[in-house]
Amino acid sequence: MRVIVPIKQIRDPRGVKADPRRQQVTLEEAELVINPTDRNALEEALVLKDKLGAKVTVISIGGPEVEDSIREAWACGADEGILLSDELLAKADFRGAALALAKAIQKLGDFDLIIAGAMAADTCQGQLGPRLAAALDIPCVNDVYRILEVSGGKARVIRGWDEKFLEVEVELPAVLCIAPGANVPRLPHGARIMNSYQWEMPVWKASDLGLSEEDLRPGVEERGLSFPPERVRGRVSRGSPEDLARELVSFLRERHLI
Amino acid sequence: MDFSFSKEHQMLRRMAREFAEREVLPIAKAIDEEHRVPMDVVKKAAELGLLGVPFPQKYGGMGAGEIGYCIVAEELGKVSSSFATIIGAHIGIGAMAIYLGGNEEQKKKYLTPLARGEKIAAFALTEAGAGSDAAAIKTRAVRDGNYFILNGTKQFITNGDIADIITVMAVTDPSLGPRGGITAFIVEREYPGVRIGKLEDKMGIRGSSTAEIILEDVRVPKENILGPFGAGFIVFMQSLDMGRLTLGAACLGGAQTALRMAMEWAAMREQFGEPIAHKQSIQWMIAELATEIEALRSLVYRTAWLVDTRQPFTRYAAMCKMYGSEVASKAVNIALQIYGAMGYSRDFVVELMYRDAKIAEIYEGTNEIQRIVIAENLFRDFGVRIRP
Ligand SMILES: Cc1cc2nc3c(=O)[nH]c(=O)nc-3n(C[C@H](O)[C@H](O)[C@H](O)COP(=O)(O)OP(=O)(O)OC[C@H]3O[C@@H](n4cnc5c(N)ncnc54)[C@H](O)[C@@H]3O)c2cc1C
Repeated sequence: MRVIVPIKQIRDPRGVKADPRRQQVTLEEAELVINPTDRNALEEALVLKDKLGAKVTVISIGGPEVEDSIREAWACGADEGILLSDELLAKADFRGAALALAKAIQKLGDFDLIIAGAMAADTCQGQLGPRLAAALDIPCVNDVYRILEVSGGKARVIRGWDEKFLEVEVELPAVLCIAPGANVPRLPHGARIMNSYQWEMPVWKASDLGLSEEDLRPGVEERGLSFPPERVRGRVSRGSPEDLARELVSFLRERHLI
Repeated sequence: MDFSFSKEHQMLRRMAREFAEREVLPIAKAIDEEHRVPMDVVKKAAELGLLGVPFPQKYGGMGAGEIGYCIVAEELGKVSSSFATIIGAHIGIGAMAIYLGGNEEQKKKYLTPLARGEKIAAFALTEAGAGSDAAAIKTRAVRDGNYFILNGTKQFITNGDIADIITVMAVTDPSLGPRGGITAFIVEREYPGVRIGKLEDKMGIRGSSTAEIILEDVRVPKENILGPFGAGFIVFMQSLDMGRLTLGAACLGGAQTALRMAMEWAAMREQFGEPIAHKQSIQWMIAELATEIEALRSLVYRTAWLVDTRQPFTRYAAMCKMYGSEVASKAVNIALQIYGAMGYSRDFVVELMYRDAKIAEIYEGTNEIQRIVIAENLFRDFGVRIRP
């Protein structure tokens, strides 16, 4: 059984500094870490490794610095890691990234599951998992909180659905997008950390994946970043519960919210 | 010159920090209040290899060297002096004595389970009449065929009650004194005649235990002699050298937390219509402390580098311990002063940090003794010998 975990390296959101007055976001001082939800995804994969002996392969796209995150995933218990890296891939948007990952996964051969984080904490788009499933033409379950069972070519999982949970069965191979906080990801073992740079990591270029500049041309153009408008201050009302309820209802009616 | 940490050590710091924040920080206040050693968290630390950081992997260790161990001590010191003390006594002096003085057999049998954290170590030197004057120990070891019979009482032994393996210093020839007359032994807790006496009710580091260990006709096989016969004093002093360095690293962690908290409070607390951070007297405290912390950081990691590159480091380890504990004490004092009444209240952790900090000036050799060690080392270069 082979499980593939695509991970993304991001700037630790806790270290990002924002200055709304100067419309400036400083990223560079923040540490480079594995996207938190991808750690949740890796944890689910490693549980399958513990329980079913799954082989866990981690793949990431980015510059040479991304190697550190792949090695950290290895230290946590992943069996191997592959870095997709060159100038073309560096410019890829979500579509391009999903395409490159799909090609790399096809190049690896057979697999049973792709377990991804539902969302990256830097862009908060949640596009990669579904796009990857589309590119590979396999089913995708989003917002997964728990993997109940993987057997007989199927997986049973619990996913969020509105305010409820839904039990879903999906045929393999499939993409599962793990919800943020679905588990507590394990920490890497110290001795594995110390050994984590002692294996050769394959680095694949766009050309190794049969992708051209045209294939990876971004469909989205970034024109600049700006801060969301300042929020208007809320209104504080006081009075008896009856008066307050009446006021609230008329307030909501005025705005056509009820 | 390169001041950067290796990639492995950077990853280790991330792991140690997350472990400290996830597992140790949430219990730091409770273990003080309940006067309880958090064995469950010690076990979790063991599962990550944190009980064998500096030891080679072939003995079950992490293989991260002294630099790695200082990183871990610093991150643990940031959240709990008690927890840093438990790990420090286990790795830094208890197991370290076996690593430094033990033969291959002893390392396999004793160091390996200690490094894996399956067993806990303690280091038993101090006695009622032998504190700073370590050579004044009275515990006796008398030969009986293939065994030594140990009798004596050790006190103030960190991890004393939780340890499975205790490194003990005993007199084997009273006529010879510290050079030749004292031998180090590995004593298993399970040996008949090993008893745990009084547990200290301490001012600080109450989440780590400090116990009396009573040895009554304990038969220790001669295979358990640590290092050359009669050279116990040297084995223990070498272990203490290492322990002092990492104690300095733990103090570096504690001092940084105190500084951060002091700054957060100074930025938030308003008096006379503005944050107290606007007051120059507060700024000066912060600026001076931050400078000393940076100086300490350089001292600690340079000393760790000396160890890892096998260069002499004794005087620097003593400096790490002395300066580190004094910077940490100053830091908690400043933090408490800036917090004012809130710092004195048990509702906050500042008073806990204040109580915890003092011990580092006392154990592993008081700071007066460190000054003697440093001066002795310095004057040796001038051909002058100082005796403590
Ligand atoms: C919480 C805790 C944990 C400990 N853990 C351990 C442990 O795990 N293993 C272990 O073996 N021991 C341990 N100790 C013992 C510790 O190492 C000793 O307490 C320490 O070495 C000092 O000895 P003392 O308390 O007898 O002080 P004393 O030696 O009586 O000293 C009293 C004062 O006199 C000063 N003084 C003494 N001699 C001189 C001198 N020559 N010149 C100038 N000043 C001097 C000292 O600096 C000190 O200020 C621990 C102690 C505590 C409190």
